[in-house]
Amino acid sequence: MDSMFEKIYRMTAIDNLVYDPSYIIMILLAFFLLYLGIKKQYEPLLLIPISFGVLIANFPGGEMGVLAVNGVGEIFRISNEALGNGLGDGFQTVNLVGGVEQMSEGLVQVGKLFYDPMEKGNEILQNAALTSQIKIYEIWSMPLHDIAHEFGIMNYIYYALIKSGLLPPIIFMGVGALTDFGPMLRNLKLAIFGAGAQFGIFAVLLVASQFFTMQEAGSLAIIGGADGPTAIFTTLKLAPHMLGPIAIAAYSYMALVPVIVPLVVRLTCTEKELKINMKQQDKLYPSKQEFKNMGTLKIIFPIAVTVIVAIIVPDAISLVGMLMFGNLIKEIGNNTSRLFSVASNGIMNAATIFLGLSVGATMTVDAFLNWNTIGIVAGGFCAFGFSIFGGILLVKIMNLFSKKQINPLVGATGLSAVPMASRVANDIALKYDSRNHVLNYCMSSNVAGVIGSAVAAGILIKFLG
Amino acid sequence: MQFNFDNFIDALTLMGVGIATVFAVLLLIIFLGNLLVSFINKYMPEEEPKQSAAGVPASSAVDPNVVMAINLAIGKLTGGKSKAEKIEKI
Repeated sequence: MDSMFEKIYRMTAIDNLVYDPSYIIMILLAFFLLYLGIKKQYEPLLLIPISFGVLIANFPGGEMGVLAVNGVGEIFRISNEALGNGLGDGFQTVNLVGGVEQMSEGLVQVGKLFYDPMEKGNEILQNAALTSQIKIYEIWSMPLHDIAHEFGIMNYIYYALIKSGLLPPIIFMGVGALTDFGPMLRNLKLAIFGAGAQFGIFAVLLVASQFFTMQEAGSLAIIGGADGPTAIFTTLKLAPHMLGPIAIAAYSYMALVPVIVPLVVRLTCTEKELKINMKQQDKLYPSKQEFKNMGTLKIIFPIAVTVIVAIIVPDAISLVGMLMFGNLIKEIGNNTSRLFSVASNGIMNAATIFLGLSVGATMTVDAFLNWNTIGIVAGGFCAFGFSIFGGILLVKIMNLFSKKQINPLVGATGLSAVPMASRVANDIALKYDSRNHVLNYCMSSNVAGVIGSAVAAGILIKFLG
Repeated sequence: MQFNFDNFIDALTLMGVGIATVFAVLLLIIFLGNLLVSFINKYMPEEEPKQSAAGVPASSAVDPNVVMAINLAIGKLTGGKSKAEKIEKI
């Protein structure tokens, strides 16, 4: 009878939770994120799948967590016997991700075993008498069906859709289908602030290069692009083992745009600047530009941008190309309306669900509860803040040399996060002057910011990948 | 924590290259956008939107199906004696 009860007890996650209570921290974190998504309504469409992914990933034995791998894509499973944890038969997956620093010092201790991380497919262990106690998987070169069989369905989804790099461009297609380049084309000059607001990426890269490897620093810095899919895409190419915390940081800060943008604006802008009325400025210094055929312009524009970006930064084309494709099928209208509707609805929503769940599932104890995560959260915040500041600074510099004044809020929205950043900026402007609607002007730099951050990502991938 | 000079130089170079490239791409897009605007204005201007023949937009007229439904209802209530002459939104 006793052994029956023991079996039932082993079946539950309780003994594992007791053995390693750090899982409970992650479960509580999932509850907190769910609260933010459901009650506070911070980006619920993204935060809820992500936080639910975190929740289901962190029950030991459930196999719904995306396994943390070391720098060469290896996963280690060591028998409970060798680990001496008293959890009965079976194997535990062992975390080696935190061992980056130990790499230069030689052997790393794993339970009672030693492992030399410099040697891939470690010979010492494979030939040792302990072979039966340890299993080494090279997950990056495993066939997908083996991954599904061995590590569960969530790892399959992750490797098939995320690690392969499929979902970020697909989501960009949906974003393109939902983007209107009209405001940008009407205020083309303001698009330049989409470049100014990429400053944070490179500023944080400079600092982070002292604490992380260059690849990790690049992945961290791209959070300053304020674009979830771009951050995921870049991290996958540069430092896939950091994907979980980086994606969470990127999406959390995007959800916190209504807090961060006003904060940076308050610290850097004067009331007089924030009261600059763009419409009045347009009347005082009217643009000579007129638009005789906006429809045709909107169709040719995405094609032209694709060609330019493809020529200058080919590495950015998987993102920018898909963005422009999505936009093109929207602008063509009736003839492609069926493609547009599926790209902006069905595909986009399905992609968001899988992306959210599996990114959430990368937030396991192994991948999340270490010092890197704190560095990512802090560095990501700085990148975000500096990006907003970069845009504002560029406006201030341009205002020095031009009669036509620009509201610094237009610079602040140069960091992607479409359209929330623009809405937030508009609210700030209205607070200072209830007739000052800056939304359309902000949308120009905001949309340009999406292109800007994708280009910056392409550069990072090219130079560091 | 030792200062990693190599990484710093790499990051600094990347900063220069990165910011310059982002600006270059967006400047090119702005330039190209302006070029496209003037090209399209010159060679493919849109025709003036035509006024609808009656001078009144079609959407403000009452839908014939609605007229029929109202007439049917009135007919049923009055035993086919009355008919709606004028339908107005109040």
